[in-house]
Amino acid sequence: MRGSVIWQLVLKDWRLYRGLIVFSIIGGALALAIVQWRKEPPLIIGAICFFSALILVGHMLPIAGIVNERKKQNLAFLMSLPLSSIQYTTAKVISIFGTFLIPWLTLLAAAVLLVESRGFIPRGYIPIVVILAFFPFIGTCLITGVALVGETEGWGLGANVFCNIVYSLTWPFLIQIPGLMTNANGPTVVWSAVVLKVLGAELGLSVLILALTFYFQSRKRDFV
Amino acid sequence: MSDYAIETSRICKEYPFFSLENVSLNVPEGQIMGLIGPNGAGKSTTIRILLGLVHQDSGDVRVLGRRMPAEQVAAKWDIGFASEDMRLYEGMTLDWHIGFIRSIYPAWDAKYAQLLLKRFGLKAEQKIKGFSHGQRVKATLLLVLARRPKLLILDEPTTGLDPVARHEILRELTGVMADEGRSILFSSHHTQDVEQISDRITFIDRGRVIDSMDKEIYLDRWRRLRLEVPAGVELPALPGIIGVRQEGRVAVATANAFVPDLPSAYENTGVRVQRVESMTLEEIFVANVEHSREREEACEAL
Repeated sequence: MRGSVIWQLVLKDWRLYRGLIVFSIIGGALALAIVQWRKEPPLIIGAICFFSALILVGHMLPIAGIVNERKKQNLAFLMSLPLSSIQYTTAKVISIFGTFLIPWLTLLAAAVLLVESRGFIPRGYIPIVVILAFFPFIGTCLITGVALVGETEGWGLGANVFCNIVYSLTWPFLIQIPGLMTNANGPTVVWSAVVLKVLGAELGLSVLILALTFYFQSRKRDFV
Repeated sequence: MSDYAIETSRICKEYPFFSLENVSLNVPEGQIMGLIGPNGAGKSTTIRILLGLVHQDSGDVRVLGRRMPAEQVAAKWDIGFASEDMRLYEGMTLDWHIGFIRSIYPAWDAKYAQLLLKRFGLKAEQKIKGFSHGQRVKATLLLVLARRPKLLILDEPTTGLDPVARHEILRELTGVMADEGRSILFSSHHTQDVEQISDRITFIDRGRVIDSMDKEIYLDRWRRLRLEVPAGVELPALPGIIGVRQEGRVAVATANAFVPDLPSAYENTGVRVQRVESMTLEEIFVANVEHSREREEACEAL
C-alpha cells in the first residue's frame, strides 16, 4: 500500500509535468540541428542551446514540482494523504529524476550519436560532453534538495541562481585538470582514468546531495 | 480498543512567538467536536499535530488508536482532512483530482462522489481555476467525504463562504454522522456553524484549552443576568458568576455555572434581577476568552 501511494504521487507529477519533457526534447533536438551547421558560431550557439535545454528542464522540475506546490498550497492537500514526509520526499526525488532522465538520456544519446556519425567534432570529445551533461544533473539534485529542505521559494530560486553561476565558473577550471583534455581532439573515444575520476566525482556529489536531503528531511519536526 | 477517535494528553509545542501549552483534547467516537478559538489561538497547530504533520515537543497523541506522529501513515488512511488553506491543482479538472484520489483509496465511493457532485452543483470536467471559492471548498470536501473516512478533521472549512454554501456543507457533514462510527473535529471561529452541528465544544485561546464540554451543558450553564442595584446596596460576589459589568444602578452579570437558585441569591442581598437571558455560543465564547485572559493577566501580575 505504501509503495502505491508513492507511485501514485510519481504518476501525478508525470501527468502534470510531461509537457516539460516534450518541450525540452524539442528544444534540445533543435539545438543539435543547429550544431550540424558545422561553422563555428552556429556550433557554439547550438551547443549552448543544447545545454540550456538540459539545464532548463532540470531546474524547472523541482521549482514546479516542489516550490510551486508549496507556494500554491497544494502541499497540505498531498499531506492529507496516507504519506509521511520521508515518503513524500522519496516520491518527489523519484518523480523529478524519473522525469528529468527522459530528456537527459535522450538528448545525451542523440548528442553522442551525432558526434559518432557526423564526425564534425572529434570523437574524443564524447567523454567531455558526458562530463558536461552531468552539470545539469548535479544542479537538479541540488535544487531538488534545497527546495525540499529549504521549503521557501527564496531558497529554491537561490539554488537556481547558484547553479547557473557555478556552471559557468566550473568549466574553465575543469579543462585545467591535467590529462582531461589530452584525448579530446583524437579520433577515438578514450575513457581515461581522469575522465572516470571526474565522472565518479560528479556521481558521488549527486548521491551525497540526495543523501543529505533525506537526512535533513528525516530530522524535520514540522512539515506543513 | 479506545472509545475515542482523538485522545491527546498535555501536548506542548514551542515556537519563538507562540506556544501550545498542555493541550488535552478528547473526541469520543461518533461525535462532532467543535474547536473554537480566535485567530492565532492554536487551532491549526493542534490539528497539524493530530495529523502528524507537526511533531509535538511533549505529550501523547492518539488518533483512531494510532500514536502520532509515529503511526501517521496508518492513521491517515482513515482520516479525511480539509483546511481553509488547502488548495487543489488549479490547472487540472475536478475529474482529474477524483481520479488521483480514487487511485489511492480503494474504499472510494464513486456513487457518493456522483451524488455530491450533484448536490454541490459542481462540474467534474471544469478546471479548478474556474471555480469560485465556495466551489473549491465543496470540491475539496467531495474529495475527502467520498473516501468514507472514519474521522473527519476540518480546519476552518466554512471560512469565506456565503450562507447558502455554508448551509450545504454543514448539512452534508451532519449527513456523514448518520453512520455512528464516524467522528468529526471541526475548527472554526464561526460559532454559529459550530453550534449548529457540534455535540461537544472546546474553546482554545493563546495556545491553551480554556474549556471543553458538551454543547448542551454549555448552553445550560451560561446565563446573563440583568440586574438593578439600588443605591446603598453592594453587588455581592456569588459563586458561578465570572464577570460583572456595572454602570450606575444597572449591572450585567455573566454566570458560567448557572443554577436556578442564583437569581434568588441576588434578590436576598437586595439586588433586583430584571431578566435572566440565555447566551449564544458566540457570547459564551467571547465571555470565556475574556475571563480566561483576565485570569491569566491576574496570575502574571502576581
